[in-house]
Amino acid sequence: MTPEADLGIFLVSAAAGFIGALAGVGGGILVIPVLTFGFGVDLRLAVGASIVSIIATSSGAAAAYVRDRMTDMRVGMFLELATTTGAVCGALLAVLIAPAFLYLLLGVILLGTAAMQVARMGEETPPTDAPSPLAARLRLESSYPDRRLGREVPYSAHRIPLGFALMWIAGVVSGLLGIGSGVLKVVAMDGAMRLPMKVSSATSNFMIGVTAAASAGIYLGRGDVDATIAAPVALGVLTGALVGARVLQRISNRTVRLVFLPVLVAVGLETIGRGLGYGL
Amino acid sequence: MTPERFRIAVSTVLIVGVGISAALIGFGFAAALVIGWQGSLTGVAHATSASTADFSNLPARLVVLEPLAITQLGLLALLATPVARVATSVVAFTLEGDRLYAAITVAVLLILLTSILVLR
Repeated sequence: MTPEADLGIFLVSAAAGFIGALAGVGGGILVIPVLTFGFGVDLRLAVGASIVSIIATSSGAAAAYVRDRMTDMRVGMFLELATTTGAVCGALLAVLIAPAFLYLLLGVILLGTAAMQVARMGEETPPTDAPSPLAARLRLESSYPDRRLGREVPYSAHRIPLGFALMWIAGVVSGLLGIGSGVLKVVAMDGAMRLPMKVSSATSNFMIGVTAAASAGIYLGRGDVDATIAAPVALGVLTGALVGARVLQRISNRTVRLVFLPVLVAVGLETIGRGLGYGL
Repeated sequence: MTPERFRIAVSTVLIVGVGISAALIGFGFAAALVIGWQGSLTGVAHATSASTADFSNLPARLVVLEPLAITQLGLLALLATPVARVATSVVAFTLEGDRLYAAITVAVLLILLTSILVLR
């Protein structure tokens, strides 16, 4: 890579880290196409760099989110049980299932949830119903400090079995397709479990690093992590994620949705494109 | 362990992991701009790896301060950070006396380590 290309990759990665930190996703949707189409990087190495990007976004942003009580660590750890199991199942299933069908299915699900996001756009905080017995037993009820609203916002997790199942699918998808695991996590927590949008994003950010780490060994062993590409990506993403993590606190849940929605639609369209045999 | 200290412990592990990896990657990358990826800061001739995506012979290449090896060590530190975070959570939930979540976190750590060691 020339120094100009390195700088370009750094800047794009910084943007990916910034958006990823706000939306709770890994930034692969931005990093992979830009590296392949913009900088002529081999797709295999671009995917390897995106694994690095996911872990950098996750660790960089989560450091701040955990400290500031934006991440719900109980919800995160409980659901990681589903995502890590799912990731192992996905890797084992990869030889059995036609990926085209899965891409199409995932794409339709994502675009369907995008419509749901639009319907919920005006909602600043979720309704505060009484916690379900399961949420009480698992202690999946908490509160987060909302600097924008200037108050503590209480919440509890709803429809936990559905959320757990969606998280398992998110794990399978990342093990199988290597795409969309961040957006599915946000959808599961915000849409199914009715956690506040900022908590969903911050907790997804906390979790995606673990899901990616589970498969990082595969990419490393296959020689897909090229330092000359991964280094500017990692440095850029970390910078962007650290800035993004500072911004999330100050913006409204509605703005977080506005950042998340285009990412969701883009991942949905790209996934359907892959299912139909177009695109990457 | 209070929830406050728990959060600080997990947050600190993430900051230290990210800090170490960013410092190594940044230093390796800057050194590579000056002497090339497969040079040596100590000036000693050494056996280079097959490509910049090859992690083999890392210790030997680190000894001669090869920019590529320093960067790769930083990338490994980055990939290890989430694992270290889960391991810290196991200790923290245990110290908190939260058996349910300590058990859940141990299970996550075991699945994670299994997938890293088995799936390749």
